[in-house]
Amino acid sequence: MHNQVVLKGNLKFLNLGDLMQLIGANCNSGTLRMHSKYTAEPGIIFFDKGNPINASYGSKTGLDAVYTFFGWTEGEFEFVKEKIISKKIITKSRMGIILEGLKMIDDGKIEKLGPKILDQEISGSTKKNPGMPVVNGPLVDYMYVVDEEDFFDGENIVEEGRHGSWLWVLMEGVVEIRKETSKGTLPIIRLSDGSFIGSMAAFLIQGNIRTATAVAIGNVQLGVLDSQLLSQEYSSLSSEFKGLLMSIDKRLKLVTNMAADYYTNRSINDEQINNDKKNIIQQGEIEEKLYIIKQGKATVGRYNDNNFIPLCNLYKGDFIGHMPFFDLNHEPDYAAVLASKDIKLREIDMEQLQNEFQKLSSTLKNITEFTANCICATSKVVCDFYQQYSGSDSKNE
Amino acid sequence: MAIFNLKKREIECKIVYYGPGRCGKTTNLEYVFKSYKKQITGEMVSINTEGDRTLFFDFLPMGLGKIRNCDVRVQLYTVPGQVKYSSTRKLVLRGVDGLVFVADSLEVRREKNMLSLKDLQKNLKEYGKSIFKVPLIIQYNKRDLAEQGIPLMPVKQMNRDLNRQLKVPSFPASAVTGNGVGTTLKECLKLTLLSLQREFQWAK
Repeated sequence: MHNQVVLKGNLKFLNLGDLMQLIGANCNSGTLRMHSKYTAEPGIIFFDKGNPINASYGSKTGLDAVYTFFGWTEGEFEFVKEKIISKKIITKSRMGIILEGLKMIDDGKIEKLGPKILDQEISGSTKKNPGMPVVNGPLVDYMYVVDEEDFFDGENIVEEGRHGSWLWVLMEGVVEIRKETSKGTLPIIRLSDGSFIGSMAAFLIQGNIRTATAVAIGNVQLGVLDSQLLSQEYSSLSSEFKGLLMSIDKRLKLVTNMAADYYTNRSINDEQINNDKKNIIQQGEIEEKLYIIKQGKATVGRYNDNNFIPLCNLYKGDFIGHMPFFDLNHEPDYAAVLASKDIKLREIDMEQLQNEFQKLSSTLKNITEFTANCICATSKVVCDFYQQYSGSDSKNE
Repeated sequence: MAIFNLKKREIECKIVYYGPGRCGKTTNLEYVFKSYKKQITGEMVSINTEGDRTLFFDFLPMGLGKIRNCDVRVQLYTVPGQVKYSSTRKLVLRGVDGLVFVADSLEVRREKNMLSLKDLQKNLKEYGKSIFKVPLIIQYNKRDLAEQGIPLMPVKQMNRDLNRQLKVPSFPASAVTGNGVGTTLKECLKLTLLSLQREFQWAK
């Protein structure tokens, strides 16, 4: 009878505010446990007859802990119905806590957990480049790690242009992703613990050519991923889902290339965009469909102060639109899609894709989500470069 | 979307006071809290948000009868006006059953009123609600200031500004003195409960 989980779910669907109201309305006593993949420790709130009486998270207890949880917008929760013996430390009313917590989120006083891009430095050596985004990865699933490798400061892990299909997960340390350009080496983003190095294109049979260089910043420990296992899983997916994964992988490469292009000031197809000018997805639009391009060309770009900043050009076989399971920070919320006149799209059955995504192993899921995070971070770099290097030209038009 | 609480045999519904900053939403609720003490369960929650305060308390309306043999409990809220408080606004407006739009009668606030009403419409739309369908009352607040010679807009003009399309019940009020506060709330409760009753009938 005891320790019975009576309610469990995802915080993304039912956030803490709603959850507390629900538990409160039912006058339940018990323990609410929350897990987020972005934190090492679980969060716990004790409820007595619907009211939170104490909480704990790491060294935090009481109200302090409860407020922190409002920042957990992603994660799992479960409520165990049981008699609570904890002391009543929290006396503030339930609704008061909820409203205060949400206010603190909006005031920026509570840190929002999630796939985040840290602007601040991670270790001593990153101080030289304060502006470069650092992408954190999810928790490492050791089931898939078959070997460990160490790299020393400044050593190349992967070299642009070389063949290679190994995939690594970054266990500890910082890795910088660089592109070789005509103006010299260009650092683009940095990756830290939990990040993946290598691309999903390695699952394909053809030899994979590395599209960027990865360099160890400080000493780095990598875990070699079981690529056979991953390839097997990949090959068992439907062709549509495979296509989606490849398209996302490709998009990251394209966005990275775009950053290099802006850096070298290759003024890219401004005229082309003006000729195309068929806005198929507007920025900020509520578009919930996913399409595959059958013909023509689509340019994904972001409107920033009325400037259209192209992020990547997509062609036949690529996917555009609302991606239901991860956040690229591209169309439709943060980017628009301009298409050539001859564009042809086919709508994709999202339900099936979503089912497949749910069934993915945690590592493959993590890789896709991580790729999405990198696209999001790199797009920011692209926009910065655009303003820095080519923004002035286009303004003089 | 009122919540049924089967355990307590209660229907919990939500009434939200909306309006431009400093229009008197909080004063309205404070007056209700003071003068209907007996019908209020629990304490008043007050959160200081920038330039505004967000209030919340539970209210048991008397003599309004039961719906399907369930007591009705009303949660009264004010909404922080600032754009940045989107999480709070979302929580408060989600599942709202009735609204009071508090308009400021000061001449200088004319535009603010209209912007805020438009904002309300936009927000409701985000939660899949239409401003034309949700039970709504408009209150023209601060009428008492006329005695002090402060230029106010005539009620007629305000009706034209804000209520021409909506055609919802509207009341002049002075939240500071309490004039019209009760009337506004009662009318809103009435509309809300009627609409809930309709909804449940339909669901039967």
